[in-house]
Amino acid sequence: MTGSVLSPGMAALMLFGSFFLFMFMRVPVAFALALACLPILAIEPRLDTMNLMQETFNAYNSFILLAVPFFLLTANLMNVGGTTDRLLKLSRTMVGHFPGGLAQINVVLSIFFAGISGSSTADAASQSKIFIDAQTKEGYDLSFSVAITAVSAVLAVIIPPSILMIVWGGILTVSIGALFLAGIIPGLLIGLAQMATVHAYAKARGYPTYPRETWRALLCATWIAVPALMTPGIIIGGKIFGWFTATESACIAVLYAAVLSLFVYREMDLKGLYAALLDTGKLAGIALFCVGTASAFGWLLAYYKIPEAILTGVSAWGMGFAATGFFIAFVFLVVGCFLDAIPAIIICAPILEPLAKAVQMDPVHFAMIGIVSLAFGLVTPPYGLCLMISCAVARIRIRDAIKDTGIMLVPMLLVLALVIVWPRVSLLLPQLISPEFLK
Amino acid sequence: MTDATATKPPGLWRRLTWFYAELLSWLLAITVGLLIIPVSLQIFSRYTELIPSYIWTEEMARFMFIWTIMIGAMIGVRESTHFEVDVWPQMGPRGEAVARLFGRLGVLMAGLVFVSAGIEFTRFAWKRTSELADLPLWYIHVAWPVTGFSWLAFLGEQVVADLKIIFGRA
Repeated sequence: MTGSVLSPGMAALMLFGSFFLFMFMRVPVAFALALACLPILAIEPRLDTMNLMQETFNAYNSFILLAVPFFLLTANLMNVGGTTDRLLKLSRTMVGHFPGGLAQINVVLSIFFAGISGSSTADAASQSKIFIDAQTKEGYDLSFSVAITAVSAVLAVIIPPSILMIVWGGILTVSIGALFLAGIIPGLLIGLAQMATVHAYAKARGYPTYPRETWRALLCATWIAVPALMTPGIIIGGKIFGWFTATESACIAVLYAAVLSLFVYREMDLKGLYAALLDTGKLAGIALFCVGTASAFGWLLAYYKIPEAILTGVSAWGMGFAATGFFIAFVFLVVGCFLDAIPAIIICAPILEPLAKAVQMDPVHFAMIGIVSLAFGLVTPPYGLCLMISCAVARIRIRDAIKDTGIMLVPMLLVLALVIVWPRVSLLLPQLISPEFLK
Repeated sequence: MTDATATKPPGLWRRLTWFYAELLSWLLAITVGLLIIPVSLQIFSRYTELIPSYIWTEEMARFMFIWTIMIGAMIGVRESTHFEVDVWPQMGPRGEAVARLFGRLGVLMAGLVFVSAGIEFTRFAWKRTSELADLPLWYIHVAWPVTGFSWLAFLGEQVVADLKIIFGRA
């Protein structure tokens, strides 16, 4: 070490120890991360609290993260402007007659939503309001309704566009276009796994179903939803063909959602607009403030070269390709229990990258393992944002929905295992459409 | 959770913080809306001849973005919506108030640090300007002490409310 007072081990102990202590004391996570940095900043003569200010500033001063409020705003505009309603009707004509019709609609709407918005928290917030109450009224169990709403919301960050892919691509310089393409198949597989889970639940518990809609109704609903369904094409296509950057593609999504709300479906008024803007600001502020303090925390870890110390230990195990993949997934799943996904990427992805490189894992494949694992972290307690949001809307405690969430995670984890051992699940589409993105 | 905001606040201090929170909400909504402008300009200037390709759009967007985050973080404390991890068993109202109070003390500490270090951070940027638009940098840095002050302002009444519950005067 070059003139540090603390050894890496001591610094790691202080950082993680005080972080968990503060978190246990019910200090909000964003603040716990900031406070955990303070003892070290006080002890180390070369560092002081100005580093905390500067590191948070550096984190926020990022054109990439701007995509976060944009995707949140897209989702909010879709909700107030009637786009979500059209997609809901389309979902109903498609899967309403399956066993557990309304819950199936819940999953399919999440898939559509995921193709337009890149934010799972926005999905969880809006769909909790739509589905939880409606499902319980139709006789679904409350904990099941909360759990399926929360787990289907994670699709938003796996199916492109996705905030996590943009952040990952920005931090590890991986092609965001390739990540967008790579997420499509794993996302759809996870969606199918969830629909199968709903099917099993519905058969076991006798959940209701809707009468089958006519083909005509399906065609009509599709026709009405066409403008909304074009959004993924515009965003993902625009990114892949290099028409605009990732952040710009999120901005395009906002503009398109605004056009749909104002001119096509014409359901948005000024009050709705204000609510959408304010809601976006609040959620973005909370989520991103945490990114700043996590960056300061991660910066201190790097300052003491703690990641390298951890890595030399792990490299000595001599893991093969699949074992490394499972190890990476395991780390992200555990970290995802305690941290939001973006801070987790900032802190952990650079640490794990050399491990993936050592076994010649494609950077896009590595990214997909990380992103899917972190997406699952959005519903794993104690810190699973989507589950927290759905529980808050339903006014139940997280522990009341844990069992059903756990059951639903099992088939999703099987898909994750498939993504790990079979790289082509992620790499097939990027190879077909834009092989130049892959190294 | 809207601990102190649900009913119209009686005292002068509460009325002040209420107005301040309303003001922040409007500012937040406006900054979010404004964020779209520079990024859209950037895209349109690239594909049309209507507007020149301004160099300051990217920087402008970033700076407004910083204020958006910080105002959002202020309101998050006001509404107690910063996410926390709840590993404790269900408690009575008094136990909940004690647990909340611990969390608030943590935010209070962070607030004090943001004020003291933030003021130095602002002074540090006093005479510097931004790279592209030549904006005074302290316009941005001042968000840090302002955020710290706002947290302290909002925390006061929340701590008082918790103490009242703990000592059974609510």
